[in-house]
Amino acid sequence: MNLKWRIAIILGLTAASIWALFPRTVVERVKRNGVFVYDTVRRVPLKRGLDLQGGMHLALDIDESKGAVADKSKAIDNALKVVRNRIDEFGVSEPVVQKAGNDRIIVELPGIDDPQRAQDVVQKSAFLEFQITDKTQALEKALPRINALLKDTKVNVASSATATTKDTATQGLQSLFTADTTKKTDSTKTDTTAAAGSTVGGPGAFSKLIQPGQLPGQYIVAQSDVDLVSQYLSMPAVQAALPPGKVVRWASDTLSFGGRIYRPLYVLDAKPIITGQYLTDAKPNTSPTEGNLVEFTMNNEGARRFRTETGRHIKDYMAIVLDQRVMTAPIIQGAIGAHGQITMGGQDLQAAQDLALVLRAGSLPVPLKVADVTQIGASLGKDSIHKGITAGVIAIVLVVVVMLGYYRFSGALAVAALSLYILYTLAALAGFSAVLTLPGLAGFVLSIGIAVDANVLIFERIREELAHGKTVRTAIDEGFRHAMSAIVDSNVSTALTAAVLYQYGTGPVRGFAVTLLAGIAASMITAIFVVRTFYMIWLNRSRSAQTSLSI
Amino acid sequence: MLRILHDTNYDFIRWWKVMAGITIAFIVLGLGSLAIKAPNWSIEFTGGTLMQLNFTQPPDVGEIRSTLDAAGIHGAEIQQFGTPRDFTVRAQNAEQVAAQSKGAATIANTIESVLKKKFGENAVRVVRKEGVGPRVGQELKRGAIIAILLSFLITLVYLSIRFEWRFALAAVIATSHDVFTTVAFLKLMHLEISLTVVAGLLTVLGYSLNDTIIIFDRVRENLRKGRKESLYDTLNRSINETLPRSVMTHVTTFAATLALLLFAGEVIRPFAWVMSFGIVTGTFSSMYVAAPILLWIERKWPRKTGTRTSSSTATPTSRTRRSTATATR
Repeated sequence: MNLKWRIAIILGLTAASIWALFPRTVVERVKRNGVFVYDTVRRVPLKRGLDLQGGMHLALDIDESKGAVADKSKAIDNALKVVRNRIDEFGVSEPVVQKAGNDRIIVELPGIDDPQRAQDVVQKSAFLEFQITDKTQALEKALPRINALLKDTKVNVASSATATTKDTATQGLQSLFTADTTKKTDSTKTDTTAAAGSTVGGPGAFSKLIQPGQLPGQYIVAQSDVDLVSQYLSMPAVQAALPPGKVVRWASDTLSFGGRIYRPLYVLDAKPIITGQYLTDAKPNTSPTEGNLVEFTMNNEGARRFRTETGRHIKDYMAIVLDQRVMTAPIIQGAIGAHGQITMGGQDLQAAQDLALVLRAGSLPVPLKVADVTQIGASLGKDSIHKGITAGVIAIVLVVVVMLGYYRFSGALAVAALSLYILYTLAALAGFSAVLTLPGLAGFVLSIGIAVDANVLIFERIREELAHGKTVRTAIDEGFRHAMSAIVDSNVSTALTAAVLYQYGTGPVRGFAVTLLAGIAASMITAIFVVRTFYMIWLNRSRSAQTSLSI
Repeated sequence: MLRILHDTNYDFIRWWKVMAGITIAFIVLGLGSLAIKAPNWSIEFTGGTLMQLNFTQPPDVGEIRSTLDAAGIHGAEIQQFGTPRDFTVRAQNAEQVAAQSKGAATIANTIESVLKKKFGENAVRVVRKEGVGPRVGQELKRGAIIAILLSFLITLVYLSIRFEWRFALAAVIATSHDVFTTVAFLKLMHLEISLTVVAGLLTVLGYSLNDTIIIFDRVRENLRKGRKESLYDTLNRSINETLPRSVMTHVTTFAATLALLLFAGEVIRPFAWVMSFGIVTGTFSSMYVAAPILLWIERKWPRKTGTRTSSSTATPTSRTRRSTATATR
């Protein structure tokens, strides 16, 4: 190839690389005074991974603990849209929301400073239901049966404890005496899952924990008993005993009476009069009388249904249930149309904002659970970059010293090529918008060491040819020619390994593989093509040099 | 011209029995201790919770432990991480992993809240938090093993095409040797096997393969020259001829890994350890595993006289070469 062309290609590549790395103006979301706005920023177009800039990585699976999902892939597709909408509204610069495999969603939120809130926004099912509270005293009617059931459980728990410790054994005996003796213990039938402990059970086990509230279908439970009641309610036997056509839901907020804290428990008609699927808009607001609230608007069909249903239930209480928690249960004064509101209780405006956000973005078709979470503080990222760069600079200095000391002039050519190598590699990373991660940075530092391998191979070959008494020009030609097969074979096999790594790696490892691939390509170009061209320039310029070569 | 180890004529392969003894002893030691105690998998693989915490005051480790125990998180591993104010907490026993299946952040949130209650809201800062459910870890483990096996397979095919199957097999065996020594090294150094370390392991494999290929490339070339010498001598000659290159490359690469080891910080250190060891084992296996195995393969399945050179090379000139003597000694 003509020398002029070679020089032109190198200059072209260099110019393209500089252009690729030149700080440019990009439009991105930035946080200003706590609000995200679109703005233009100037920066080097190299993407940093979460481990370098801090942020949060979430992997979400379908939560099947409350029932299996038939078509997971489709459910995930639908959930993906919802999560994406929510994240877009949440306001993060350059978020990643993608499907991984068939049943997982990956969410990456770089630079996030309130991870818990972000996770809540992503995970909240936001399933809104409007249910009428029970006014038939169905729970009271079922209470004797539930009490009887729980008494059985208690006997069972106590008798199983007699075998283990003496202390609980005596207590168990006592409760055996107090227990209804007409009932025989049937350990195969009763539920042993209740970790009820020894302080409960006996007659009225359930009814003594709850007392009627102020409105029909509302009961109040002391906060200290909430866990126990929840446990009772989750037992299959108790669930079967609950009044048919009704559901039991906790309130989202607590009440306090005379210094004690209570959590209301609601019994509701199982069939909701309407759900959140008809919602078209939701926005947060603050009312002087009711505090923070979310106002919502329904579409025409929703409004029509809502009007008929609420018209039928005037003077009844309607519970607004979000994700199976009763937010509020106002009385229906008259038919309600397209507009309604959800009061937030004591929660702050931020909570109202988030609720409005998730309601707007739609409810998740399936519950999601976090399968994997990584959260990295921004300071750690900065520290990692700083240390990575220190290590990189030291590695470069060491390599330069070794090369110059051993190969002298030729070493200098290799060092010049090495600086082009660094430039090309970074440009390639920017060009493919690869993400720079910490292992990637390490891989890059390492590849600087490996990059000189090609040069070393060539130089050693040239030395051998010179030792065989060849002229400088021939020795250089032969050296490059002979070293070629080794360079190609070794680099191709490393590249293949890197490709496998890319295919099967995740996150940081993928970043590492990309850096390795870019490094291999750049090192082959610089060692084979650039250094050769440097030699050619040198041979052309100085006639005297043809008799001896500093290598 | 500054030259090191130029025109040497060491009989490297003569020592293969000693070297085999050393490396087998090392592998047996490492894998033996692996049989006694399972490797130190990172939470990425086992599932569990990892938290990196920064305290404003150097805390008492016992106090952290008792706080966690009181919150029902038993057997968490608490380690200093760099400075006396930085600690990592790992909760990865079965019970805690099981708790993660409900939601990967549960344990991390508990740890954060109890420590903040104990040491003060602003005295503890969560620098890094990782929670991995049990399923993700299993998938990763499988992925890593597939990646290694697949890279072997691809290498085998590529080298069979570029060289011939004997070389390919010897190179792959030498590389698998490096997997074993590196795993033994990880075990003996008590290094945690994380995703980054697996990436380091794969890099070591690539690097070692590189080195083997450089030597085999020289063998291929020397075979083409058709000297009247045994494969044993050709191998020795090739190792000697590539010796200056090997030394130079290993020195520069080692310089780079050393920089990583010393300056790149705590997070990347296990990776740097793997790489540093990898350079040693990669060099070793190219000389003392790949070469003797190639000799052994030759003895077991000798090439047919006259076809050796044409099968080992793809160049048209090779057909005119005479075949060399048998490979055994």
